[in-house]
Amino acid sequence: MSIWERLLKIDRKIIFVVMAVLVLFPLLKPLGLGVSSGPRAKAVFDAVDAIPPGKTLLISVDFDPASMPELYPMLVALMRHAFARDVKVLLCGLWITGAGLADKAVTEIPPEYGKEYGKDVVYLGWKAGVDAVILGMGENIKNVFPVDYYGHPLDSLPMMQDVVRLRDIPFMVAISAGTPGFGDWLLYGQSRYGLRVGAGVTAVSAADAYPYLQTGQLTGLLAGMKGAAEYEVLVAKKGYSKAYMPGVAAMDSQSLAHLVILILVVLGNVAFFATRMKRR
Amino acid sequence: MRRSIPLAICLIMGIVMMVQFFVPHPISVGFYDLTTKWIRIVSAFALVLGVGSLILYHLDRLQRRRAGWVYSIVTLVALVVTAVIGLVWGVKPGSPLQEVIFKNMLVPLNASMFAILAFYMASAAYRAFRARTKEAALLLIAAFIVMLGMVPVGAAIWGKLPEVAEWILSVPNMAAKRAIVFGVALGAIATSLKVILGIERGWLGGGK
Repeated sequence: MSIWERLLKIDRKIIFVVMAVLVLFPLLKPLGLGVSSGPRAKAVFDAVDAIPPGKTLLISVDFDPASMPELYPMLVALMRHAFARDVKVLLCGLWITGAGLADKAVTEIPPEYGKEYGKDVVYLGWKAGVDAVILGMGENIKNVFPVDYYGHPLDSLPMMQDVVRLRDIPFMVAISAGTPGFGDWLLYGQSRYGLRVGAGVTAVSAADAYPYLQTGQLTGLLAGMKGAAEYEVLVAKKGYSKAYMPGVAAMDSQSLAHLVILILVVLGNVAFFATRMKRR
Repeated sequence: MRRSIPLAICLIMGIVMMVQFFVPHPISVGFYDLTTKWIRIVSAFALVLGVGSLILYHLDRLQRRRAGWVYSIVTLVALVVTAVIGLVWGVKPGSPLQEVIFKNMLVPLNASMFAILAFYMASAAYRAFRARTKEAALLLIAAFIVMLGMVPVGAAIWGKLPEVAEWILSVPNMAAKRAIVFGVALGAIATSLKVILGIERGWLGGGK
């Protein structure tokens, strides 16, 4: 058996081990490759930056624990950005599996900036019926969510006195791992109520969001871990946060993972064509 | 009668909902508010149907001892246990449903499933991604550029690589994507019209 044939029959466990080592290594010893911010992440950042202090940023937590590594850093960075500028944050979710993740962010992030629940941040929770939820929020948020995630009546929360319907919200970011997600916010929130929408999506679904960016329906886009890292860098550059940046830290691992896959594909092709030529 | 009433409701509601979208009259807005409440109620009933269907499917698998029937037991036990915990202790933060089922079971299981994808993708790409034809070679080159351009190491190799990756995503990819989206939208409009006009009756159940 030639070296090329052996290479073609390489045990997949070896590939798994190589991948595991190269992904873990930068997490233990960061390579510091650095992240530069693209125009789409900058557009989301600028839109949040343009919200006047005292007004509200809506964040829809439309993901589950599977996509948490890519999308949760976006949620955290967005909240830090908003709180640093005294912008209020209203959270809701179209995925029931995202409810606990939003709760985690609401519990952990506001205290960093001395923000109070009910006054500076409110988490509405999850309700069934995607289109009805968004359309209902367009008319009156209290009709859809009479109480928040923690059971407080919305009337008892000072922040909700100024936020009655979607038109009271200058900008929203839908952090989506699929459907329902930013598409539903565009379809019902933007087309009917003129809500400005930005999106944060997983890397694999970024291509789905591109057409909406070019038409201007989406204000900006955070795509995958890179999008999260780009936003973290922008927030840190402006001095809004000095906290640990998980997205940036994970980009080294992702870089090596991409390199491993590319090298393996090249090796596989070279071995494939070498054995084919030999047979001829 | 069993067919004509649902068909009539569908026809009337389909047309009314289309018209009301363009009419901002108070009557239209009021009607629209009412229907969004109905949708939420109907969604709640859909859950009952979904759970019922899931239970019947897995009970059938168990009775017939179909391949993997043991997993049906796991599914049914998980369904009952989760429902009982939710009904007894509630779904609020700090409840066993949140602390045990969500934080300690769902989060690690879901995250693990997604994480091992990277390993399978690497192995599958190594075995299957071959430049056998011109089209496959083109796809391979595009994938190379995009994969490298999307991570910092790509910019470190060649500064222009992220821009080239960006061009691939926003020009050729977008052209194809837009064509697909238009096709899907036209298909959805055609199907909706067929449902509203009663030509497509699959949603009534029981075939033709």
